[in-house]
Amino acid sequence: MSIENDEKLESIEKIRLGLEGLNYISNTQIATAVFLAYHLDKPILIEGPPGVGKTELAKSVAAMLDLECIRLQCYEGLDESKAIYEWKYGKQLLYTQVLKETLGEILEGARGLSESVTKLHEFGDIFFSEQFLEPRPLLKAIKETEGCVLLIDEVDKSDHEFESLLLELLSDYQISIPEIGTVRADPDRKPLVFLTSNNTREISDALKRRCLHLYIPFPDADLEGQIVHARVPEIPANLRKQLVSFIQELREMDLKKVPAISETIDWAKTLILLHTESLDADLVRQTLNVILKFQEDIETVQAEVQMLTNKATKEA
Amino acid sequence: METTLVDFVKVLRTAEIQVSPAETLDAMEALELVGYRNRTLLKNSLSMILSKTPEEKELFETSFEKFFTFENISNQPWAEDGDHQDDNTDFDDSSPGNPGNGQPGGKGSGQGGGQGSGEIEAEDEDDDQTTELTPSSPLGQLLMSGNRTELMVSLSEAGRRVEVNQIVVFTQKGLYTRKIMDAMGLKPLQDEITQLQGDGGRPERNLAKKLKQGRDRLRDQVRDYVEKQFFLHADESGKQLREELLKKVKLSNLEKRNFKDVQEIVFKMAKKLVAIHSKRRKTFKRGQLDVRKTLRKNMQYDGMFFDLQWKAIKVDRPKVMCICDVSGSVSNYSRFLLMFLYSLSEVIPKVRSFAFSSDLGEVTQLFENSKLEDAMAKTMRDYGNGSTDYGQMLMDFKRNCMDDVNNKTTVIILGDARNNYGDPKAGILHEMYEKARRVIWLNPEPRSNWIVGDAEMKKYAPNCHQTDVCNSLTHLERVVANLLRFAS
Repeated sequence: MSIENDEKLESIEKIRLGLEGLNYISNTQIATAVFLAYHLDKPILIEGPPGVGKTELAKSVAAMLDLECIRLQCYEGLDESKAIYEWKYGKQLLYTQVLKETLGEILEGARGLSESVTKLHEFGDIFFSEQFLEPRPLLKAIKETEGCVLLIDEVDKSDHEFESLLLELLSDYQISIPEIGTVRADPDRKPLVFLTSNNTREISDALKRRCLHLYIPFPDADLEGQIVHARVPEIPANLRKQLVSFIQELREMDLKKVPAISETIDWAKTLILLHTESLDADLVRQTLNVILKFQEDIETVQAEVQMLTNKATKEA
Repeated sequence: METTLVDFVKVLRTAEIQVSPAETLDAMEALELVGYRNRTLLKNSLSMILSKTPEEKELFETSFEKFFTFENISNQPWAEDGDHQDDNTDFDDSSPGNPGNGQPGGKGSGQGGGQGSGEIEAEDEDDDQTTELTPSSPLGQLLMSGNRTELMVSLSEAGRRVEVNQIVVFTQKGLYTRKIMDAMGLKPLQDEITQLQGDGGRPERNLAKKLKQGRDRLRDQVRDYVEKQFFLHADESGKQLREELLKKVKLSNLEKRNFKDVQEIVFKMAKKLVAIHSKRRKTFKRGQLDVRKTLRKNMQYDGMFFDLQWKAIKVDRPKVMCICDVSGSVSNYSRFLLMFLYSLSEVIPKVRSFAFSSDLGEVTQLFENSKLEDAMAKTMRDYGNGSTDYGQMLMDFKRNCMDDVNNKTTVIILGDARNNYGDPKAGILHEMYEKARRVIWLNPEPRSNWIVGDAEMKKYAPNCHQTDVCNSLTHLERVVANLLRFAS
C-alpha cells in the first residue's frame, strides 16, 4: 500500500492512537492484529460476542487509512453472482443482436461454411469480456487501484460453499473468472481484509488457517469506561462509572443475551436524553429494554434491579 | 531461532492445538517482523496466528508460559553459601578413589561435615590468594566461568541433541538427565576430576572439589530442566498414548477407574463425527437440473419441458433403534454404545433404546432425562438380572415396537447371541430384516466363537444386513461412522 499508510501503520502504538483518534478504543491485541495483518498481508478473522465492535474495527481502520471500505454482508444463500461478479445479461443479449445485424458485413466475401467460421473466429469476441462484467464487492475490492478495506461481515451466516469460494481470494488476493482468466490485486495495493463471525457455527479449518485469528471479548470496566467516554463524551463521569459497573454486573448474571458494548453506548445516550444525573432503580426499570433484548431476561433482572443499582452507585 | 519456534509448535500440537505447517511458516514471517524482544508482543502475535478458537487461545496461553520461561535456571545463583558445600564435602569424602584424605572425622556424619565446611572456607580463602588453576575440560571451564546464560544455552542444546522432547513417560527422567549430562561433556570433566584428585596437590584438590560442586549443581539443574520438558512434552502426549491404548482395549476389560477417561474419549470421538456429518446435513435449495428425470417426467406433456426436475440431495437423518443386552458379560459394551449414540444427538436426534436380559424394556426416556451414569445404573438394576433370552426379547419387540419399524429405521442389536439353548425365534428377526432399512448386529465376541456352544449367531446372522465384531472404542466409532454414512 501507499507510503502514507506505511507510516500510519508503522508501529502498534501508532495504530492504537490512530484508532483512538477515531473514537475506537482498542487494546494492544487489536492493534497488534491490524499491524500484523498489514505487514504480513493476511486477512483477520474477528470473532467474539455480538456488539463488541468487530464490524466497527474494520470501518475505523478504513477511516484511519482514508480508504474505501467495501462491505459484503453474508447471509444464507449468498453465492458468487452476488459476491464476486455477474454477467450483464441484458447487455450481452443486445450485443448478440447487434452482432447478428452486422454479421453480413463481417462475413462478406467468405465462401463456404468453413471459411465463414474461420472469419468469425478472427473477429474479436467480446461476449465474455470485462465490458460485460458486473463486479460485485469481492471483485471490486481486488480491482481497487487505491487499495481498500474489505469487510466480509458475519461470514458464519453464509454456506460452506461460499467459504470455499473465499479461499482463493484470501490466500492469494486473486479471483479466477473462467471466461476471462485470473484477476489479481496490485501487489502493492492489496486490500486489507476483515472477516467477522458471531460463532453461530464453526468456520472451516481451511479458512481459519489463512487468517489471523482475533478474539474480542467483552471489555473490562476500565476499557468500557473509556469507550463510553469516547463515544458519548457528554456523559458525566459519575454516571458513566455507575453505568459501566451496572453493565459489568449484568454480564455476570445468567442471561439469554448479555448486553454488549453497543448496548452500553445506546443506554448512555438514552440516559443523556432523559437528563439523568445518577442511576436509580425506577429509571433503570424503565430503560431496561434498551440493554436487554429478551422479555425473560428483563423479567429476571427486574427483580434484581434495586440491588444492582445500589451496588453500582456505591462502587462508582 | 527457527528450531525454537518449531519446538514450540510441537508443544502446541501435543497440547491439542491444531497447527498446520502453513501456519508455522506464517509464524516465522511474523517472528521476523516482531522479534523475540518483546514478550507480550510475541505472545499476542503468535496467539493470533497459531490458535484459532477461544479454547485454543487458552491452551496457547498456558503452553506459551510454560515454554518461554527460563527463570528456573537463571535465577539460581551459582555461587552459593556453605550449605551446598556442606553436602558436597560429605559426598566427596565418602566417595571411593580418594586416597589421601586429610580429614579423619569427615566420614559422612553431620558433625564431621560441619567441621569440614569450616575448613573448606579457609581453603577457599587460601586458594584465592595462591595459584589459580583453570580446568582443562570444556564443561569444567564453563562451570568455573560462572556464565549462566552460556551454561543454559549449552544445556538446552544438549537437550536438543539427545532429543529430550521425545520423552514419553516419567520413568525416563533419569535416563534423559544422564544423557544430557553426557552430551554436555561429563566424561572429560569426570576424568579431569579424578586426575586432579590423583595428583594430590592442594590447589588441584581444591579445584577438583569446586568442579564436583559445580557438577552436582549442574545435575540438579539438568534434572529440573528434564522435569520441565517432561511436563511440556510428555504430560499431554502421555495422555494421548493412554487414550490410544484405551481405544483399543477390550471394553469388558476396562476398569471402573478408566470410565471417566473413556467417557471423555467417547465425547471427543462423537464430536469429531458430528463435525464431519453435520456439514452434509445442509439441504440444497436449488440443485442441478436432473435431465433424465425431467425427460421422463415430461413424456406425458409430449416432451415439452414443462415440469423441471432438480437434482437435490435430501438428507435423511437415521432413525436408530438400539437393542442392548445388559446382562453381565455384555453390559459394558452396551454402556459405551449408548454413550456414543447419545453423544451424537446433534446428528442422530432420534434414538430409541431398549435394554434386556430376558424381558425387553424401553429406556429412551431414562437416557434422555437423566445423566448417563444414573441412567446406566438404573437400567442395570431394572433389566440386568436374569439369564439372557433372545427369543423372549424378540417376541417383546414384535409385540411392542415392530409397528414403528419402517424403511428409515436402523436397528442395532448388541449382544453375544448366547441364548442358553432356548428358542432363538430367528423368524422375528427376519421380519425385522424385511421391514427395516438396516439391521446391524454387533457382537463383542470374536467371530470364531459365534457358533460355539449356545451362541445362535448362525441363525441370526443371515437375517442381518451387517454383522460386526465390536469390542473396543475403535470398533464402536467405526460402527457409528458407518451408520452416519449410510444415513446420508
